[in-house]
Amino acid sequence: MANLERAPRKSFNDLIYDLIFKNYVWQSIFRTGYPNTPRNQMLAVATNVFLHLHPTRIHRTHVKITHTYCLGGLSFFMFLGLTVTGVLLMFYYVPSIERAYQDIQVLESNVRFGQLLRNMHRWMAHAMIILVLLHMMRVFYTGAYKPPREFNWVVGVVLFILTLLLSFTGYLLPWDQLAFWAITVGTTMVGSAPVLGDESKFLLLGGFSVGPNALIRFYTLHVIGLPLVISIFMAVHFWRVRRDGGLARPL
Amino acid sequence: MVSRAAAAIRTRPRREREAEVLVWPDLVFIEFISALIFSIALMVLSAMVNAPLLNRADPDTTPNPSKAPWYFLNLQELLLHMEPAWAGVIVPTIALVLLAAIPYWDRDQEGQGIWFGTKFAGRLTVFGFTAATMVTSLLIIWDGSLHVVWTENIIRGLGLNSDFTWPGGLDWFRNLRGFDTGIPWESLGFTIGGFTMFDDWRAIPLGIPGTTTDPWLLNLNFPSFLSQQLIPVATMVGLPVLFVLFCKMLGWIHTRRDIALLIFSAFIGVYLTTTIVGTAFRGQGQDLKPPWDIVVLEE
Repeated sequence: MANLERAPRKSFNDLIYDLIFKNYVWQSIFRTGYPNTPRNQMLAVATNVFLHLHPTRIHRTHVKITHTYCLGGLSFFMFLGLTVTGVLLMFYYVPSIERAYQDIQVLESNVRFGQLLRNMHRWMAHAMIILVLLHMMRVFYTGAYKPPREFNWVVGVVLFILTLLLSFTGYLLPWDQLAFWAITVGTTMVGSAPVLGDESKFLLLGGFSVGPNALIRFYTLHVIGLPLVISIFMAVHFWRVRRDGGLARPL
Repeated sequence: MVSRAAAAIRTRPRREREAEVLVWPDLVFIEFISALIFSIALMVLSAMVNAPLLNRADPDTTPNPSKAPWYFLNLQELLLHMEPAWAGVIVPTIALVLLAAIPYWDRDQEGQGIWFGTKFAGRLTVFGFTAATMVTSLLIIWDGSLHVVWTENIIRGLGLNSDFTWPGGLDWFRNLRGFDTGIPWESLGFTIGGFTMFDDWRAIPLGIPGTTTDPWLLNLNFPSFLSQQLIPVATMVGLPVLFVLFCKMLGWIHTRRDIALLIFSAFIGVYLTTTIVGTAFRGQGQDLKPPWDIVVLEE
């Protein structure tokens, strides 16, 4: 017997929608359908490893741009961008005083988009410092350091120091006059510390002045040591934002 | 009276669901757009402005002026006005420790989550920032002896005295070093109760005879100690205290949050001023110069 009650014909849009979002592969990756219903939207955040840094819902005042100006998020975004451009730069760069400067010249002249890559890395590094500073000012002037967020403010201060150190260690790598003398001036300041000054300077430079040992130390700290440390502190920072009740708002 | 522990875990009232929005799409969208804007802006900047690359590093050729990266130029600026140990290490360390300690000192939970939470927050911020910027600039001008140059030029320019020079009696007011070199310390010895004090102000014995201590502790150079340590440190401690007392007198300060607002804003003012002066107004030999007169020589 023929089935008299036929299902209503699907529109073309629905067909496409099902084809993309309800197929086996998509659902193996994302589990929830396309986030077009409140349930799916919450699941999209909660079941995604990257998005689940966020809660699924936040207070309305916190999505106002003027509340945060996205400064913390943008600082993190700069870190991600610097990681990507930094890894690409590592393909072309050898941290020895014989090759470093020449490698930068080759990068700028012979590598396609090499100059752009280096520029991006440089300006993002400057932007990150400015954004971190502005983020700190935002947190201060909105009183967001107050209990129960005291410790996260301290973690933030540590992140600020690490950001400066990351930038400072990267400054030496092009091995030009700017790099060499800036690091010479900077490490001389370290050397003037009472009691442990000379020892700290020697530890940092691997010698008494900026040379091959300093270059390899700064390089290693810049590409792996400090990024690892700052990642740990960032994880704690973001985790504590959630644990301490999200963004601060009036009691 | 709520105990401190109970106050610390005081939580806000039940969540108001109707005041909440979903993170997807409301927040994720904003994050995506801001990331996009920054990516494009930085891409455009990078296409237009190249990262600097000077000649290959040469330890035998010193550029004059030699400068640290710009974010450390505030410290390099301090270096010109005090003992290197203070400028390069002790002052920044203390500043960072104090910065980190703010929430442990200002523990009141009131006023969080809103911009400038107290009644006089706006005034304190503007006053702290402006006053600190102006005082810092004046101190830099004074230590750069610009007031000497300006006074000489004005008096000569007005035709009052065509070969006027800064009076020798005011040498101690030329700059910070003036306290060291401009005062006749040699003639300033004095006696108290039969003891002759400080015949030699540049080698005041501090060490206990028969013990070995740091040489500078054995023989304190008082004039140099005065100009390189005592006055700078007294200024850095004294000015914030004066700021707080002044604002208290005006009736602007009622809570610790107010003091924090004032001092933090003043700190931002000093930080910015010293960074800008260090970056754009220091020429050869770290002399104060307008940005367009600065040339880097290689020596």
